[in-house]
Amino acid sequence: MTAWTIGWIALPFFVGFSLYLLPQVNGLLKSVLDPRVLALSVPLISAAYAVSLFWQPVPLNLQLLDHFGVTLLADTLSAYFILTNALVTAAVILYCWDTGKTAFFYTQAVILHGSINAIFICADFISVYVALEVIGIAAFLLVAYPRSNRTLWVALRYLFVSNTAMLFYLMGAVLVYQTHESFAFTGLRGAPPEAVALILVGLLTKGGIFMSGLWLPLTHSEAESPVSALLSGVVAKAGVFPLVRCALLVEELEPLMQLLGVAAALLGVTYALVETDAKRVLACSTLSQVGWVLAVPEVAGFYALAHGVGKASLFLTVGNLSSRNLTVLQQQPISTHLWLPLTLASLSISGCPGLVGFGAKISTLQQALPWQNIALNVAATGTAALYAKFIFLPHQRPQTQGGWIAAAQPGLWAALALLLGSLLIANAGYPGAYTWLNSLKVLAIIGGGWLIHWLLIQRVTLTLPRGLEAFEHLIGGMSLMLIALFWMVWSWLAI
Amino acid sequence: MLHACVYATILLGFFGLIFKENLVMKIIAMDVMSTGVIALFVLVAAREGVYTPIVSASPRAAFADPVPQAVILTAIVIGFSIQALMLVGVIKLARDNPTLETREIEKEYRP
Repeated sequence: MTAWTIGWIALPFFVGFSLYLLPQVNGLLKSVLDPRVLALSVPLISAAYAVSLFWQPVPLNLQLLDHFGVTLLADTLSAYFILTNALVTAAVILYCWDTGKTAFFYTQAVILHGSINAIFICADFISVYVALEVIGIAAFLLVAYPRSNRTLWVALRYLFVSNTAMLFYLMGAVLVYQTHESFAFTGLRGAPPEAVALILVGLLTKGGIFMSGLWLPLTHSEAESPVSALLSGVVAKAGVFPLVRCALLVEELEPLMQLLGVAAALLGVTYALVETDAKRVLACSTLSQVGWVLAVPEVAGFYALAHGVGKASLFLTVGNLSSRNLTVLQQQPISTHLWLPLTLASLSISGCPGLVGFGAKISTLQQALPWQNIALNVAATGTAALYAKFIFLPHQRPQTQGGWIAAAQPGLWAALALLLGSLLIANAGYPGAYTWLNSLKVLAIIGGGWLIHWLLIQRVTLTLPRGLEAFEHLIGGMSLMLIALFWMVWSWLAI
Repeated sequence: MLHACVYATILLGFFGLIFKENLVMKIIAMDVMSTGVIALFVLVAAREGVYTPIVSASPRAAFADPVPQAVILTAIVIGFSIQALMLVGVIKLARDNPTLETREIEKEYRP
């Protein structure tokens, strides 16, 4: 298992660089050495690795070098995240199959995939730092891939915010080292409060949680659809995973994570409800869903899988609609072939029984504390209300020739088959959720959400000021968050 | 004293990042901040001694800790490459926004 793990971690970087460097060949080798084929092989191997992790009876714990070396920890939690990453990356590569993207795009996608995988099995601060920085660079290049000035600015802004956050994180890491002579996650116990606050502010910003995550809506909505799917589906989780892992390893941190998770879930929903731009609604919903992942660290893996797969299919489908503006879409009926996947994925994230989102929502609500339960139920109703925006879009059968294949990019159907198929199959992850009481409760939540949609959201137009999303406020907000976190860690947590 | 200087460098870099209007100045401010962080690592490494830890016949007691130094070497390389990447992006942006003022750019590219 050790050799398998190390080989699997190294593979994406090897494949990523070689698929860019390989010369173009003709003949039989052409189909084997095609960048797309090589790129697709990597997530498939990751999926195989995730499955082998599920079968592993005890967590795999590796200490490479010494106590100051690299610490790896792979268990079922990692397996869920790795599986999410594999599914979303594979779907994005399938989606881009016929779009004429260059080998450079696939190189970046594969390297991004590899560094996100690395995060999911790391258990020390420096490996996480290196992987997060690689993610930052690869995500920058993917966002800036169209080379228009606008995407370039969005990508630059992302890199600025993420690099500043990582500088804070590094300061925290060295302070932890000063206390324990080790960079392992467990070193947070007994570390000074300023170290904990600095590390948390870095990870919260990377993961897009609560106020630190306000950079996320613009970045995720302005990128191309496949890139948005990658960013929302897995890149955001790369910041959340170390937080979840720390909360599980160091129980003293858990109350803070529970609070921040719930706050993020509510904030994201509030933003998403008033938006009218389809991609921004989805991006703001990510802001809320990462909160759900963090709110109950014990079942974070399953929730992350449900959200990642659902959100990726939503982004890929929305990218094929005729307009991004939901008010315009209310006037122009969309094609039924696009409406169906949109509704399925929306229902899954709302938690409708029959799809994986149901099991994920129920397992999270069951493990939540009583005070969390109230807030999370409010957030769930809000989520149902915001996805009603997509479910109740008018739709009709397309008049044009070609049927469903011509309704969108050819790659979309292969990607959706993979994603929606896993939405159904992953249901098996938590069959215990299916009781009459749970189903009724969730249906009541969804019904309440739809009622809010019809009575309130459809009739009232409200816009929230976007001032907080300005670049300087994002950086300034980081310092405020740092002070707040320091105060909370110092006065509240028994660390 | 040294600690105070290091933290002052980090703080100054951070303020520059907020208050400087020009994108290139912001990148330089970020460089100042990362220099401060690097200095912090070196300072932590030197807390028990400053001698280079090399195995030799005459052992000396006060060795510097090689781990933070090794770690920060990685971070220096990463920081350097990110700055290079940002500057390339800024060169491209400068063609249409010669003043490179963040607020103007933000206003122009906001949806």
